[in-house]
Amino acid sequence: MKLSSMNYLFGQGMKNIWTNRIMSVASFCILSVSLLLIGFTMLFVANINRFVSGVENKNEVVIFLDDDVDSVMASAMENTIRNIHNVESVTFYSKDEALEDMKKSMESDNADQLFSYVGEENPLPDAFRIRIADIEEISPTLMDINRLDGIDSIKSPTDFINILTGLKRFIGIVSAVILLALILVSLVIISNAARASVDIRKREIAIMKLVGATNTFIKVPFFVEGMFLGALAGIFASAVTCIGYSELIKVLSQDMTIWSIMSVNGFIPMSEFVVRLVIGYAAAGMIISAFGTVMSTRKYLKV
Amino acid sequence: MVELRNVSVTYSNGVDALHDVSLRINDGEFAFVVGESGAGKSTLIKLLLKEITPTSGRITVNGFNLEKLKKSKAHKLRRTIGFVFQDFKLINTMNVYDNVAFVLRSIDAPIKYIRNRVPYVISLVGLKDRAKSYPTELSGGEQQRVALARALVNDPQLIIADEPTGNLDPKTSLEIVELLKGINECGTTVMMVTHEHELVRHFGGRTITIKDGRITFDDYIG
Repeated sequence: MKLSSMNYLFGQGMKNIWTNRIMSVASFCILSVSLLLIGFTMLFVANINRFVSGVENKNEVVIFLDDDVDSVMASAMENTIRNIHNVESVTFYSKDEALEDMKKSMESDNADQLFSYVGEENPLPDAFRIRIADIEEISPTLMDINRLDGIDSIKSPTDFINILTGLKRFIGIVSAVILLALILVSLVIISNAARASVDIRKREIAIMKLVGATNTFIKVPFFVEGMFLGALAGIFASAVTCIGYSELIKVLSQDMTIWSIMSVNGFIPMSEFVVRLVIGYAAAGMIISAFGTVMSTRKYLKV
Repeated sequence: MVELRNVSVTYSNGVDALHDVSLRINDGEFAFVVGESGAGKSTLIKLLLKEITPTSGRITVNGFNLEKLKKSKAHKLRRTIGFVFQDFKLINTMNVYDNVAFVLRSIDAPIKYIRNRVPYVISLVGLKDRAKSYPTELSGGEQQRVALARALVNDPQLIIADEPTGNLDPKTSLEIVELLKGINECGTTVMMVTHEHELVRHFGGRTITIKDGRITFDDYIG
């Protein structure tokens, strides 16, 4: 095909958007709403996952040591624990540090007086703070640690972690199902809109075929039209998502309960996803719209 | 040249639209195909356009053996034929110039050629001043002239006119057939399908009558 023909077909595609403006506006709105629904659902799911991961990262197992464990034995234990599978880090937490932290945490004027009753003897035990690499594998790791000598007790948020892990799996499955359903519904709606847009021009297509136009020559303007409307809807949906998301975060951050929940990791900052969002929206809009429109012309090209 | 040899068409609902039709229209001829509604005229046109395939028989149009021509290559055949229809079949979103130019654009004709050829053909059918008008702004006769210009622009070997005067008043009908006769005199084969016997009698010439899917008359009158 010659360049002049490509120019003509491109121009025809753009002209068709204006000529069939009612259907163009309808397609644009349907595409934009579909993209917004999918985009906001993805952002919601991503934020929930971020929160859950944030809580997971706070996981810490504390091992309290027997009183008769001296520094040499503690050092040996530290090395042994570090070599246990799934242990990410081990930090020795002396009873002196524990006492200091306890004093700091009790912001009472009477704290010094209160601790003076304790005297020289520190009643707190030495401990190890252990971070677990894979939280879902915490139970076998704890069993390995428990086999060591010199352990008085272990404090681990096993139940909470189990609930959290289950919740994460549940959110993952539910969000995947919702997203899949949304994508399918959007595809059906968009292809119906494209079909309706092509349907009102079936006479035009039939005439073009009768005067000897090839299928490609007929399809290209529809393709251009679909691409342009898709890109436009993608850009519009990106702008709405960015403005809507930042406003939503502002509002939600004013609510102390939500803020305290999300303050573990914070909401996903817009800078983290804005480029991917614009590219994703525009690409999805263009591909779905252009191919939906072109596929809809197929049955009318069998003249 | 159009040639049909023992062509029959039976639709899936069992209707025998054409039965053992043999026909030959030579290059440069003007032939009227006459018949009442349901006689098989539309089926004959659909066959020549390769919109449908015959149940049996062989068809040759402008050197194309339609039996061997794939549906996906039908555009090659259609580019050698100019069509004129009763309902004009113009694209309402394009003006007169673009409707006529579309045929040339679809075959990748050079822009210079399109710019010279299209105004020339439009002026041939007497619509020089209406090139920027849209079909909905034109009378029936003018729309049919646009359709004629579109059929002519590609310099086809054959023009098939399907009831071209069906939606026109008697005076305009005569003008359109006069135009078709003029085109034929320049060497283009013309096949005009009509049910208006008076018009055929007025102009005379080769007349093929189809009745109940069979050719019942094929001779020169007038």
